[in-house]
Amino acid sequence: MLFLTLARKTYRRNLQYRGAHMVHNLASAIFGFIYVSIWVGIGQSQSLGTYGLNGMISYVAFNQVSLWVVSFLTNGLGIEQSVRTGQIATDLMRPVHFFYQLMCREWGQIAYQLLYKSIPIYALYLLVLPLHVPSSMITFLWTAVALALAAYISICINYLIGAAALWTTESRWLYWVNYAFSMLLSGFLIPVEWLPGWLRVLSHASFYPFLHYIPSKLYLGLEDASSLLGSAGWCALLTGLCLFVTSRMRRKVEVHGG
Amino acid sequence: MKEQLRMYKLLAAASLRSRMQYKFNFWFSTIMAAVINVVEFAMLAVILAKFGHIKGWSLEEAGYLYAVLTLSKAIYRTLASDVHHLEHYLVSGDLDNLLLRPIPILLGLMSQNVSFRIGEVLQGMTVLILCMRELFQHGQITWTAIPYTVVIVLSGALLLFAIGLLTASLGFWLTRIEELQTITEDAARTAVQYPVSIYPKWMQGMLLTAIPVAFANYVPSLYLLRGEGGIGLLIASPVVAACLFAAGLLLWRRGLMRYQSTGT
Repeated sequence: MLFLTLARKTYRRNLQYRGAHMVHNLASAIFGFIYVSIWVGIGQSQSLGTYGLNGMISYVAFNQVSLWVVSFLTNGLGIEQSVRTGQIATDLMRPVHFFYQLMCREWGQIAYQLLYKSIPIYALYLLVLPLHVPSSMITFLWTAVALALAAYISICINYLIGAAALWTTESRWLYWVNYAFSMLLSGFLIPVEWLPGWLRVLSHASFYPFLHYIPSKLYLGLEDASSLLGSAGWCALLTGLCLFVTSRMRRKVEVHGG
Repeated sequence: MKEQLRMYKLLAAASLRSRMQYKFNFWFSTIMAAVINVVEFAMLAVILAKFGHIKGWSLEEAGYLYAVLTLSKAIYRTLASDVHHLEHYLVSGDLDNLLLRPIPILLGLMSQNVSFRIGEVLQGMTVLILCMRELFQHGQITWTAIPYTVVIVLSGALLLFAIGLLTASLGFWLTRIEELQTITEDAARTAVQYPVSIYPKWMQGMLLTAIPVAFANYVPSLYLLRGEGGIGLLIASPVVAACLFAAGLLLWRRGLMRYQSTGT
């Protein structure tokens, strides 16, 4: 119940700005279109492996759509801000686990972004691009599960980034480092198997492929559901890490006067 | 005019000094900006290293387009960082403070939050030097390319400034312009990081006319790197930049007339 209340609050708050967000969607769609054009440019003179030209168009377009569910979350779940204002002390005192609290709020954010960002952009791409649409319901189902797990991984990562602010006061830079790495290693623009050797190893050793690469390949029907075990594994591992960090956090809080 | 420039220098230096009070943050954000830029370029490099070329543009040529644009952007954002953030001034009414200063308002705005984009400059220079060296060795360019490149970078900076100024000026009518800026500044600039010929015709048209950001790198490079068209393409970029900047100043003035500040 608490979960729904918290999630609904964030959702409603975002709803106020949906007009501005729609304009922003246009910009986001253009960005995706730029990335698609790169592969169309490449694909005109050479073959694009197992994907083919249409497959690559769908792959990149789908990644742009899912960006709003798995990548663009609240910067560090807003922890950095509450460290600065001192709000963190109150937040940690609440009778709900800190991680659970923030996670619930973030799910509201994700639900909003799915409905008002991802789906409109997807609809637009369906109209203007030769987008691959899975023929079976089960593919949709697995893709949805993969995206949900990816979103959860991203929540955990942002929680850890935010939590770093308790030790370093500033953690915005970590958010951007994560963003940069995720661009390269998650297969957002380049499928992981096409990365040069050492980057590929690095990517496979991390959770990044489960953010974009696996969901997109599931969507294209090029991957089977067993790869979701990897997503689930990372979710469990990161949850443990988040819980551990929270227990550390409670002992670390300092409130500055001012 | 001389007096005004002196004031600008004074204010810019003061702003830089205030920023340097947080040395750690300053250097860290500089390094991070560089990392993000490197990763962005790495994506293009990885694709081109694997597939050889994109619509006939080799890695060196595409890298040149990218580097030139990065440097132009770094210059524009160093000199006029807060033109991009005008919305904040309009919404909070902070522009009032600038109206009181004895220098032109635009110059006053430019002197706020000055930040050297060292990360972008370093990365841009590195990519540019590496690419130009390769191009030299292939005999694609000669020594004259160096002064031409300087001209391209500077007029590109002016062009980006002009587009930023035009968009910001619209803020006097629209107030909320951040979304619009994402399209006219960020999306358009991202688009010309790659050879414009990869886009469908309508989009190429947009990048040459409606938001003529292609003149910042693609158009002059057609002549400089591949000998297409004539030297006119190279001259076109400072000309377009100057015209657009003049239009920007005009719109800025008209917009300023409409500025009403905020209530309390």
